[in-house]
Amino acid sequence: MTATLPRRPAARPPAVAAPPGHSMLGPVLVHRRGLVTVVGLLVVLGAVVAISLAVGSVRIDPLRAVGAVFGTGTPRDLLVVGQLRLPRVEAGLAVGIALGLSGCLMQTLARNRLATPETTGLNNGATAFAVASVVSVPMSLAPPAMALTGAATAAALTLGLSGGAGPRGYRFLVVGLGLGAVFGAVTNLLLARADIDTANAAMPWTVGTLNTTTGPAVRLLELGLLVGLPTAMLLGRWLRALRFPDAVATGLGVPLGRARIAVLLTSVGAAGLSVAVAGPLGMVALAAPEAARRLTGPGPVPVVASALTGAVFTLLADLVGRTAFAPLEIPAGLVTAVVGGPYLLWLLLTTRTRTTP
Amino acid sequence: MTVLQTRSLTLAHARTPVIDGLDLDLPAGQVTVIIGPNGCGKSTLLSGLARVLAPRGGSVLLDGCALATMPTREVARRVGLLPQSAVAPDGLTVRDLVRYGRHPHQGLLRQWSRADAEAVDAALAAAGVEDLAERPLDTLSGGQRQRAWIAMVVAQDTPVVLLDEPTSALDLGHQIEVLDLVRSLAARGRTVVLVLHDLSSACRVADHLVALVDGQVVAAGAPGAVVNPGLVRRLYGVESVVVPDPTHGTPVVCPVGLAARTG
Repeated sequence: MTATLPRRPAARPPAVAAPPGHSMLGPVLVHRRGLVTVVGLLVVLGAVVAISLAVGSVRIDPLRAVGAVFGTGTPRDLLVVGQLRLPRVEAGLAVGIALGLSGCLMQTLARNRLATPETTGLNNGATAFAVASVVSVPMSLAPPAMALTGAATAAALTLGLSGGAGPRGYRFLVVGLGLGAVFGAVTNLLLARADIDTANAAMPWTVGTLNTTTGPAVRLLELGLLVGLPTAMLLGRWLRALRFPDAVATGLGVPLGRARIAVLLTSVGAAGLSVAVAGPLGMVALAAPEAARRLTGPGPVPVVASALTGAVFTLLADLVGRTAFAPLEIPAGLVTAVVGGPYLLWLLLTTRTRTTP
Repeated sequence: MTVLQTRSLTLAHARTPVIDGLDLDLPAGQVTVIIGPNGCGKSTLLSGLARVLAPRGGSVLLDGCALATMPTREVARRVGLLPQSAVAPDGLTVRDLVRYGRHPHQGLLRQWSRADAEAVDAALAAAGVEDLAERPLDTLSGGQRQRAWIAMVVAQDTPVVLLDEPTSALDLGHQIEVLDLVRSLAARGRTVVLVLHDLSSACRVADHLVALVDGQVVAAGAPGAVVNPGLVRRLYGVESVVVPDPTHGTPVVCPVGLAARTG
C-alpha cells in the first residue's frame, strides 16, 4: 500500500490551475515573467543587430540594412552589409549567446556567481595556445584551432585534476583558477620573448575581439550552439534543482553525477568554441547571467535569457569599439572589460545580499 | 506499508567508517526516532537511508530492493528527505519551495498536474504555512522557514519520510506543531524516521526508538521499554532519574549531573 494524502476521486478533471506567476501551455508550465523577458530581449537584440548592420564608416538606414541581409537594396548596401558587417554581427551573436549560456550554466552548477569560463582557466588556456601559435615558428594549426585546442586542454586538465565536478563544483573552480594562472604566466612568457610586431599580432588573442573571426570557427560555434542551447533548455529541470544543497537535490530525485557532467560539458563546450572565434572576451559570461536573473526574477534558471543578454552585450561592445573612436578600432574585449566591470559592481552593490546564483 | 531495512550497512566519510555493519529494521507506518550523542552517526545513518551517502558495504533495502540499484527518481517518489539546515535559492516563495517537492513526480511532458496542485495545497495546510504561501522564504522566521521545508517533503508524498532534526531552531509551540505533524503522517500510514536531540520529545513522538553509540545500536524498542538511567548514562555520560510524563506516560529524563568516568 502506498500512503497518500486524501484526494478527491478524479472524474474527468477540468484544466488544472497553474501556480501563481505561471501559465499552462499544454503540458508545459510557463513562467510568465521569464517569457516576457525572453520576448523583450529578442526585440532588443533585433534592434541591436539592425543598428550594428547600419552603423560604421558607411552609414546605411537600419531598415535598408536589414533589407540588404535578405538580398534587396543597392549593390553598395549589399556589399557593405552582406560582405563586411553581416559576418561580424553573426559571429558576435554566436559568441555572445555561447558566453551567456556558458556563464549561466557554470554559475548554477557551482552555486557561485563567480564561476565563469574566465575564472576556470578556460580562457587563459585558449589564449596561451593561440599566442603560442602566433609567436612561435609558423605552426600547422591556425590560431583559432589552437585556441579551441587550448580551451579543450584547459577544460580536460581542470576536469581531470578535480576528478569531475566535485561536491558543489568548488574543486573544479579552484583547480581552474590555479591552471588559469599557469596558462596566464605561459602567455606572458611567450609575449615577453617575442619581438614587438609578433606581440602585436598576438594581441587580439589576449583581449578578445570580433575583428579577426574566421568563417570555419564561426560555423563550428553555430553547430555547437544548435546542440548546446536545446540541451541546456532540456536540462532546465535539473538546473533548478541543482541550486539546492546536494542532499536536497538528491532527495528530489536528481542524479547528481550525471546532471553535473551534462551541465559542465555543455558549458565548457560553448565557452571553448566561442574562444576559438573571438578570443577571451571578458565579463560577458559573468555579467549576462546576472542581468538575466534580475530581469527574470527568482524561480527559473534563465538559460535562454542569459544567452540573449550575452548576445546583446557582445554586439553592443563591438558596436562601441568600432564606432566610438573611429577610425581607430578598440577590441570588443576591452569595451566589455571597461563597461562590464563597473556594471557588475553596480549590480552587486544594488542587489540584496545574495549567495546563490 | 513500505519497509525500510539496513543489512550489514557500512557508511563512511572519506576513509573513516562511521557506521559499520549495521542491521536495522524500521517499522512500517510508525515513527522511528534515532537518538545518540553528538558524532554517533545519526545524521550519517539518515543520509545513508536517503542514499545521499552511498554505502561502503552492505545495503539499504526498500521493500526488499537495494536502494543503490534503484533509479534516483524512483527512490525520490518513495523516500522523502529533509536534511539538516537546508538552504534554498534566493527569492523563492514558500509555495515555490513546496512545489519542488513534486519534482520526482514531474517530467518534461508532465510539468504540472492536478495531483501536483492538490498535493502542494494539502502540504501547505498540513504544515500550517497556508497563510505564508506567497511570502519569500528569506522574510520568514526560522520556525516558519522550517515548516515550509517540512511542507516540501510532505508534498513529495512519499511512503517513507526522513527528517534530520526538524525541530531545531523551533520554539516549544512550533516544536509540538511539527511533532504532531509527524504523528499525523504516521497515522496516514507513512513510515517516518527522525533524528532528534531532545530525549523527552523523542520519547513523546516515537513508536520506536533507536539509540546509537559510535555507529552501533545499543538499544531499540518502544521508548517506555528502552529509556532508563543506564541508557542515558551510556549515551551521554549523564546520571539521571527517569520518570513517567504525568500527562502522556512516556519517559521523561531528569538529568542529575555528569556520571563519574570509569576506565
